[in-house]
Amino acid sequence: MTAQIELRNIDKYYGSFHALKGVRLTIEKGTFVALVGPSGCGKSTLLRSIAGLETITSGDIAIAGQNMTGVPPRRRDVAMVFQSYALYPHMTVEENLTYSLRLHGVGKAEARLKAGEVAATIGLSQLLGRYPRQLSGGQRQRVAMGRAIIRNPKAFLFDEPLSNLDAALRVQMRKEIRALHDRLGATSVYVTHDQIEAMTMADWVVVMRDGVIEQQGRPLDLYDKPVNRFVAGFIGSPAMNFLPATVTPDGQGLTLDGYGADRIPLASPAAPGQAVIAGMRPEHLRMAQGPASFHLEVGTIESTGSATYLASADGALQLVQSERADLRPGDRVGLEIDPARIHLFDPETSARI
Amino acid sequence: MSRFFNALRDGVGFDVLLVGAALLFLLALAGAPLLYNVLMSFQQVDMFTLGVLFRPFVGFDNYVAVVRQPEFWLVTRNTLIFVFGSMTGQFVLGFALALFFAQKFPGAATIRGLFLVSWVMPGLVVGAIWSWILAGDFGVLNVILKSLGIIQANVFWKSDPNFSIWAVIIANIWLGLAFNMLLLSVGLAAIPRDLYEAAELDGANAFQRFWTITLPMMRSTIGAVLSLGLIGTLQQFDLFPALTEGGPANTSNVAGYWSWQLSFQLYDFAKGATVSVMMFVLVLFASIVYVRSTRHEVRG
Repeated sequence: MTAQIELRNIDKYYGSFHALKGVRLTIEKGTFVALVGPSGCGKSTLLRSIAGLETITSGDIAIAGQNMTGVPPRRRDVAMVFQSYALYPHMTVEENLTYSLRLHGVGKAEARLKAGEVAATIGLSQLLGRYPRQLSGGQRQRVAMGRAIIRNPKAFLFDEPLSNLDAALRVQMRKEIRALHDRLGATSVYVTHDQIEAMTMADWVVVMRDGVIEQQGRPLDLYDKPVNRFVAGFIGSPAMNFLPATVTPDGQGLTLDGYGADRIPLASPAAPGQAVIAGMRPEHLRMAQGPASFHLEVGTIESTGSATYLASADGALQLVQSERADLRPGDRVGLEIDPARIHLFDPETSARI
Repeated sequence: MSRFFNALRDGVGFDVLLVGAALLFLLALAGAPLLYNVLMSFQQVDMFTLGVLFRPFVGFDNYVAVVRQPEFWLVTRNTLIFVFGSMTGQFVLGFALALFFAQKFPGAATIRGLFLVSWVMPGLVVGAIWSWILAGDFGVLNVILKSLGIIQANVFWKSDPNFSIWAVIIANIWLGLAFNMLLLSVGLAAIPRDLYEAAELDGANAFQRFWTITLPMMRSTIGAVLSLGLIGTLQQFDLFPALTEGGPANTSNVAGYWSWQLSFQLYDFAKGATVSVMMFVLVLFASIVYVRSTRHEVRG
């Protein structure tokens, strides 16, 4: 495996605003990398810096082994799919697809042939003569993809490409983009604020906040071992519960502050008497069959048929389970959790303990 | 009666009232004079028939007489030079300035705003300013051109038959520049930024982006600007009395000013009306082009 995109200590300032803070990232050839984070975290800025649409303040960008820092976008040989698709409204689908070829002096017949091939791969063959305004959202999305594919670039950059589509189409396009990536053996960088998209599509997920990479790794590693409270809360839906807790004097268990004297066992011992934040995913909490780890007063119950969502009366705790529950607001239920699935965070630094 | 007022207050009555007022205004102050003008161009108008509406009908005699005027072809030629020169100058420079101010640099919007001064100023004032700039003996333009070594002796812009029409064209370009720039700026601003970014990534350099993105996306705006430019240039009047009065020997006279001269200096109202009807046909043609160009909006 060789690095297709290499980012070394990227810094970016907008005036006095520090948008990217010493970002280092290596993207292997053929991988699908998702940049994910809340809005304003710098993920789009990072993507646009790779494309060359933003100039970085300091640091180095290498694409396919060549230093591309300061090189204009048209010489970087990367293709981008924009959130708005950015199709040329005055050109037909075919003209949109072949625009880059025509700029590079490819003959009409050859360009036409290639447009036909690409259109066939993405299912646009019937629409080559249409203008973008005559297409549906999903079709425009495909044209934008086709325009990227036809160039056979060194990397594909996606800037929230699915956010303008409705939910059903989004799920379908998610699969298609991933399948296309695999078929082309491409290197893709995909920006999204939707952690589900990142988790389902990517080989490697990079979580960003405030211009800093908080954590990067394989999707399930991020889910299983978040390095801090932010990543823990960002990855997974519904979000992880965070409850202030204290380690018991023997170091083998926890008591949740405000939930009485119930004792929750820990998988590995912690410093006795330490104040911690206990992170528990809603899907890992179960209603206890035998003795409970702790108890909860039911606030709201929402049932979708396949899953039941329970929230505590104080709103601090949420759990989801696949069995139906015959409960009423105000009922007291006993809960248990696999000790290995409790995450402990430092209340001061938010880092994983 | 109350039903009438109810309709006025709640129903379509109020809409009809508003449309009616505008229509009345148009008919009285634009439609009627226009028709009267056309009517006059087919009549014999002299001292004895000045006060009546239905004068002796003379068919196309006035048109024949106008074309047979010795200055007719000179004025036609001047009008074409004036229209073409002014529009080219206004459009090219206006587009260049619009592109310049579309770049992001500190104060771009403010400086662009200042350019509008030329558009806000009355034509007569602009004419007076340019009259000073273009003055043969002490004009600043001659001083600049001489110091740059472009000319050796003073050019008498306003009184040299070779330059008089160009004196008015230069002033008119300056007068219409800001308006062109403003309309073209609006057109430029309406082109989404990401189209340029996509084109850049597709490998287009600045020149290619201009030809393949900017120009095609500006088609309707350019059509509108050119049509309005044609109309505005044909209607230009103020600069002529302020600069050359059409002289010397009609070498800077154009149709619009000639029509006024015929009517209000020679009191030959029939010929004046005839010239303006001829111009009206031209402007009508430009207006149709304009309306059609705004109808064919190409926007995604």
